[in-house]
Amino acid sequence: MLNQLRITIIKYGAISLTNLQNQLAYVWDVAGRSAMIIFFMFIFTQLWTAVYESQETAVIAGLTLSNTIWYFIIAEVMELGKPRHDIRISEEVKDGSIAYTMGRPYNYLVYHLANGVGEAAVRMGLVFLLGLPVVIYYAGLPTVAARHLPAVFLVVVLAMLLDFFVFSIIGLLAFVTEDIFSFRLIYQKLVFILGGLMIPLDFLPDWLHRIARILPFSLTTYAPAKLFVAFDAAQFRQIVSSQVVWLLIIGAILYRQYRWAVRRLTVNGG
Amino acid sequence: MNGLAVDVSGLVKTFQVKQKAPGLRGSWRAVWQPAVKEVTAVADISFTLEEGEILAFIGPNGAGKSTTIKMLTGILYPSGGQASVLGYTPWQDRRTLGFHIGSVFGQKPQLWYHLPAEDTFRLFARIYELDMAAFRQRRDFLVEAFDIGHLLQIPVRKLSLGQRMKCEITASLLHRPRIIFLDEPTIGLDVVAKQQIRDAITYLNEEENTTIFLTSHDAGDIEKLSRRVIIINHGRLIYDGRTSALKRQYLTRKRIDVRFAERLNGDELILPGVTILKRGTYGLKLEFDSRAVPVEQVVQQIMAVKPTQDINIADPPLEEIIRDIYQA
Repeated sequence: MLNQLRITIIKYGAISLTNLQNQLAYVWDVAGRSAMIIFFMFIFTQLWTAVYESQETAVIAGLTLSNTIWYFIIAEVMELGKPRHDIRISEEVKDGSIAYTMGRPYNYLVYHLANGVGEAAVRMGLVFLLGLPVVIYYAGLPTVAARHLPAVFLVVVLAMLLDFFVFSIIGLLAFVTEDIFSFRLIYQKLVFILGGLMIPLDFLPDWLHRIARILPFSLTTYAPAKLFVAFDAAQFRQIVSSQVVWLLIIGAILYRQYRWAVRRLTVNGG
Repeated sequence: MNGLAVDVSGLVKTFQVKQKAPGLRGSWRAVWQPAVKEVTAVADISFTLEEGEILAFIGPNGAGKSTTIKMLTGILYPSGGQASVLGYTPWQDRRTLGFHIGSVFGQKPQLWYHLPAEDTFRLFARIYELDMAAFRQRRDFLVEAFDIGHLLQIPVRKLSLGQRMKCEITASLLHRPRIIFLDEPTIGLDVVAKQQIRDAITYLNEEENTTIFLTSHDAGDIEKLSRRVIIINHGRLIYDGRTSALKRQYLTRKRIDVRFAERLNGDELILPGVTILKRGTYGLKLEFDSRAVPVEQVVQQIMAVKPTQDINIADPPLEEIIRDIYQA
């Protein structure tokens, strides 16, 4: 059994490593697309500096200007660095290459998860490194304590897993609809507003903040960013519990949807 | 004695296809009243395939060939019927079956586009849980068979179609599949690359007893590789038999190329039922129906015209035979 576990880890690890190599093979192209973070961070910095100055206060909803700028770089890393396996699944259905990717001796969704890890490693790293000079110039070094980093890392991992589950559900719709762009767009906009990508949830009206905190969108973006800039043990426990609950709920939906979708798969070109 | 590699019984696959009338009005109507038509891609086909057999599974575009392959490899669920591949039900045992089968879809890439083929080979060694020493031995053998040693370090995007196809097939053979599904493996290739691929397929079948399930529009692939042919059209099986019998059954037309020792005058050979396809100064190309005019009679007539230097009797290309069957 241990040997089988070792073989399975090696198998999926090899998939991650191969996509990592693939991303590095055209790293300048990926870097070029990630470079927009420099402009994003510059605009965010100017905007929030103006907001803090207009309020004539150093702290809004418990966050300093430096906290807010660091919040946005982490939120953007989570958003821009996430793998786009739903699009890949859609492309596989459209070009028929799913005949290869589904026919191999592995779990199709775990294959995409492993693939996504390799992709995310490069993309998240690049977005962070490219945005970092702007953030350090305007906000200085982060205030996060080193002892909190493992807890933040755990929340990041669970956030990515949750995102993976949601995008898998969207991707599997391609088995029937082929194109999933509209579904992806709706989810992205929900994350944008209710996930804390446009504005930290702490700055929202109290009633909206409370609703957003219950929904899963905030757990993929707001949660890791907020804990990175203002770690709180109670909030950490609440976030991890919520992430686990949503993983179970969305995981169950994904499981049912996978079984439903594979029976209805239509592949272009026969 | 070989067992059954494939056992298909009453296999059916239907798809729901959206319909839209042409023009803006059609588009508008499709938004509010989407019309869906049920299309039968595979209609109740049954056949068996023994281990170690080479089967050419052919038909015109849209006949249901690829859909059948995708059901036999477990990608698509059938709408009806049963299938067993190496004792497994493909759509239920897809992952286990995946260890024992290989597939090559000539028009779809499986190699990582930005990486050299060697990286995909190593990945497949892990995916198929191969012992790395055995993998290296197998890879080296295939690399030599396909003569691709000089291509292994080049990103796949830089390879020509023929080079890429040889790498694609190599990738599908690394795990020594017991049955390999080849969906138009020689499409778009030059004669040299085609021959290399045919030689490798023949070797795998003869030396490793690999069952080959081949679809191709290339008559050369079918004639040179398979002793058995199944033809499907509109999802229905219309022929299942030996390649030679197919040719005999449908091949009543013969072609004769003859070269005479003396110059021709122009009106030497007038036979009912014989068409002169081409007339040269010293040669003739004839076609006739052997049911109407026996071959011996035509040959005797030719010999009576003038002394002959060379004579060649041939069947029309298989693709013409297949075309005739489709049209029938």
